[in-house]
Amino acid sequence: MIKIKNLTKKFGKTPILDDINLTVKRSDRIALIGPNGAGKTTLIRTILGQYMFNGELAVFDKNPRRHRVEILDRIGYVPQLPPPIQMNVGELVTFSAGISRKSSIDTIYQKAAELGLDIGKNVKKPFQKLSGGMKQKLLIALALGRQPDILIMDEPAANLDPQGRQAFFLQLIRSMETTTMLLSSHRVDEIINLINRIVEIDYGRVVQDERIDQSRFADKMLACRVTLTKNHEAAIRMLEDWGFKIVNGGREFEGRFIGAERLRFLTSISHFANHIQKLNIK
Amino acid sequence: MNTFFLVTLADFRESVRAKWFLIYSLVFGGAVILLFVLGVTEARVMGFTGLSRLLITYIQLCVAILPILILISTVRSVVGDRESNILEYFLSMPISLGAYFWGKILSRFFLIFIPISAALLGAIVWGMVKSLAIPWQIAGYYAIFLGTLSWCFLGLGMVISTLVKKQEWGLGLSILIWLILLLFIDVILIGLMLQQQIKESVIVAVSLLNPIMVFRAGAVLLFDPELTSMGPASYVILDNMGYGGFLAFTILYPLSLGWLFAFLGFFRFKKGDLV
Repeated sequence: MIKIKNLTKKFGKTPILDDINLTVKRSDRIALIGPNGAGKTTLIRTILGQYMFNGELAVFDKNPRRHRVEILDRIGYVPQLPPPIQMNVGELVTFSAGISRKSSIDTIYQKAAELGLDIGKNVKKPFQKLSGGMKQKLLIALALGRQPDILIMDEPAANLDPQGRQAFFLQLIRSMETTTMLLSSHRVDEIINLINRIVEIDYGRVVQDERIDQSRFADKMLACRVTLTKNHEAAIRMLEDWGFKIVNGGREFEGRFIGAERLRFLTSISHFANHIQKLNIK
Repeated sequence: MNTFFLVTLADFRESVRAKWFLIYSLVFGGAVILLFVLGVTEARVMGFTGLSRLLITYIQLCVAILPILILISTVRSVVGDRESNILEYFLSMPISLGAYFWGKILSRFFLIFIPISAALLGAIVWGMVKSLAIPWQIAGYYAIFLGTLSWCFLGLGMVISTLVKKQEWGLGLSILIWLILLLFIDVILIGLMLQQQIKESVIVAVSLLNPIMVFRAGAVLLFDPELTSMGPASYVILDNMGYGGFLAFTILYPLSLGWLFAFLGFFRFKKGDLV
């Protein structure tokens, strides 16, 4: 689907992407992670054909600068921040449905409804006047309405409320079999159930490219034992939220969680890394 | 619907809600109303009165403010969309760069031309209501001149918009270009003439490179076919081009310049980073 070889992108003399090599296959669902300024957004924009670059980049075996319309007709994109579009919701939906071969107004309405957004009620409202969450839901519905082969999302769940987030992940889970995903996120724990590969970028380079075998762990219960260095109140509260119980009457806790949640658990507990004496997961 | 027309319509809908469009429309609509209210049609200057007198004043007003208003509003189009991430979003959709750029230009042309032509039309309608003589031919030429001048500065605005990285630089550059062009109408050329170091024909040729000057001279030509109010420059212009030739030049030169700028802008847009 996407082939990247020795990709370099410089702004002035500063390389933002530095010799990136990456191949994305049809079944890949990638979490693109990395600190701010690592080059995630630049990589996404380059794939979308918005930047000139050095090296080789092919999306569906085509150059995204030369064949942008054909390529972008098969890509759904949700930006990190909703753009300040002046059009009203109805006009934006009509525009988005009109320029894409596979999209239709009905599909967009349906996708939005599944995310908990009633377009019909907001059709005359300017896009700018929608709440952050509503904007995000509409942009996701517009992207999904195109029935894309590749879905690229930059911090997609950032503005969503818990219900919206849940509905959004459900939508993505439904598309998992047919859609390649490239999800840029600061919180891998949020999307861990969706992805099967983690690509970490730092200083414009791929520093980690790891496949996650979801099938091995996802549906297994894992037993975990944590020993704290002291009775740290917040750490205990977090463990109790995960259903952990005190054992041996002191700083030792025991609990179980499902394999698909393991990264989310590790992310939660990593906040208290200084207070952990021992951690054991089986 | 064709992508090009969808982009044109989308940009039209976006811009029509923008504050600049409201101000722009108020300036030109308000100017005509003000000219009527102030009784310009009753005044007589160089033998002109009634609606002809009003049209002269309206054109003088357009010479001064139309180019800068077009530049200020257009120069922000590409660079403004880039800064606000609108460009990033729209260009992640299957829209060709040609459809985006030319669709945007067409929409801006309508946005710019509608208020000025509506003001012109409003003046004619008012003139009819007030039973004034309507100079149809002059009004028709004015509409064409305004269209070609708008196209010229629209192209210039778009090329600036694709060249600059920030809106502020675009605005600064626009004001600078506008000032230089305005100064070249009179101040600099008079200075050169006074020094008498350069041939008159060269000075006139240089002045006719300036689309604002061409527009002004063309507008004057409609009322004053001998261009007597322009002094010795009239000999050089009319001897070389004649009445019809200069009228055609007034239409074709800004139009060609506008296309040239627009194409330059498009190639710059296409060849560089889009966002």
